[in-house]
Amino acid sequence: MSIAVPLLIPWFAGAALALLDGRRRWVAWSAVGALAATFVATCALAAVAGGENSVTVAGGWPAGVGIALKADALGVLFAVISNGVLLAALVFEVSAGVRSRLFPALTLFLSAGLTGLFLTADVFNFYVFFELAMIAAYSLAVYGDEARQLRAGFIFAVVNLLGSFLFLIGIAAIYHVTGTLDMAAVAERIAAVEPNAVILIAIAIFVAFGVKLGLFPFHFWLPTVYGSATPGVAAMLSGAVANIGSYGILRFGPGILPEGVRLGATVLIVIGTLSILYGALQAISRRSSQEVLAYSAIGQAGYVLIAIGLGGPAGLTAAIVYAVVNSLNKALLFLSTGVRGFLVGAAFVVGAFSVAGVPPSAGFFGKVELFRAGVVEDSAALVALIFLGGALSFVYMFQIYQHEFWGPSRRSGPESPAAVRAVAVGLAALVIAVGLWPEPLLSASREAAGVLGGGG
Amino acid sequence: MTLILAAAIGVLFGSGAFLLMKPDLFRTVVGVVLVANAANLTLMASGLGRGASPIQPLGEGVVSDPLVQAMTITAVVIGFGVTALLLSLAYRIYATSRTVDLDELSHAEASHEQELEREEVSV
Repeated sequence: MSIAVPLLIPWFAGAALALLDGRRRWVAWSAVGALAATFVATCALAAVAGGENSVTVAGGWPAGVGIALKADALGVLFAVISNGVLLAALVFEVSAGVRSRLFPALTLFLSAGLTGLFLTADVFNFYVFFELAMIAAYSLAVYGDEARQLRAGFIFAVVNLLGSFLFLIGIAAIYHVTGTLDMAAVAERIAAVEPNAVILIAIAIFVAFGVKLGLFPFHFWLPTVYGSATPGVAAMLSGAVANIGSYGILRFGPGILPEGVRLGATVLIVIGTLSILYGALQAISRRSSQEVLAYSAIGQAGYVLIAIGLGGPAGLTAAIVYAVVNSLNKALLFLSTGVRGFLVGAAFVVGAFSVAGVPPSAGFFGKVELFRAGVVEDSAALVALIFLGGALSFVYMFQIYQHEFWGPSRRSGPESPAAVRAVAVGLAALVIAVGLWPEPLLSASREAAGVLGGGG
Repeated sequence: MTLILAAAIGVLFGSGAFLLMKPDLFRTVVGVVLVANAANLTLMASGLGRGASPIQPLGEGVVSDPLVQAMTITAVVIGFGVTALLLSLAYRIYATSRTVDLDELSHAEASHEQELEREEVSV
């Protein structure tokens, strides 16, 4: 199977469905079908990842000349998790009733952009897919068409576009100093480049992804956007689009610019720590559940960054496990705040436990891997910080739980359709399943960390 | 040439950043466009060299780098699409809120927050 398949399915399906009215049930459900096919195709890529057939060069050009798509363990893992989250969120929104004609098509374009971004082996192509995904995300952020969402969407677009252009300037600089755009070749040649230039490039690219991920000094757009988006869209943004940030920092940091990461490790850890503390404290002081989750997303991004800063196989594995688990948690939590009815409260509690890192949830293993990285790197401060962060997240998660599911006024709303509840409960079951049997995720993450040459 | 380009990029980026700080939706959009063009010029500048145009059949001597031009045209097209999206967003905001002034819009945001808090108290 060609690697381009999971990229072409959503692309063509998206283009076809964009011409139709997505509010019709059959159009919306065929979008779900296309996205499910994409998800299956990305899962099938796991079998070829890293093997002989894992590279496809576009246009029949010889390798090294044409633009290559490459399925390695890291890219496939992120593609699977992002498409999975998108699928859950799309089923959720479609069962609740689509309100805009373009919504299903935009979700497919988002999936095409994300899949391409995780599978490309070309630095500039990364930017193209990145913009494709982000443009779909900007349009999705205003889904609902309320004045408040439009304002948030505008800020989202402007801030993230600035990040994108900074990234583009970083790519121009990479091309200038190495003379190539192929990721593997860049990683080889960058070692011979003067460190000052490498640091400047690393900073530009780090800021660009920091904006996407909503790390502490670049977070200001995030609470407004996540807070005003509909639950399904918020789940897509925090569970799938934010993966661009963690994947980008992993791929461009330890993968392509290991020198930049080594020199900037302290900065990464400091920014990560600030994100954790700021996110947790702000989350505790908020009342609207979506806003609490938004600030929590800032804090959780901090853990990923700290793990990358620690580096080494243990640190990178922890970063990948944590990023994957975090996108599952966030998808589950954002979706279940939008649902009412039987078992939904339980689904939310599973997500809350997972964020706090209580076994047997997936989040527990995210924290365990971080602890392991902290112990391997002999950093007592980090272990203490993870503990403190976990305790704080426990506080804010249960504030929302109490507010949303115990408050008398909130429970009186009409019960949500069964399919909508099934998505939330299914995700909760998945989070527990990963917590009970974490071996597949852990070994996939270890393999993915191995791909990141220098660090792995 | 490098100096001229560097100066042009600097001026474009600076003007773009200046416009981004104005409390006006459309000035913000123009600011983003200027910053986008600064990035495009940087792409061009990253592979700058003297040479014949890289079109088959290739002429004698050195050929200039076609890759940066290909990248720049891609980036220009993306920038164009993004500008259209931003303008339509700005228009939607104008159509719903009847203002393009960001200060007024953030007042609306603040009053929305207050409403939420009032609800909170009454609950």
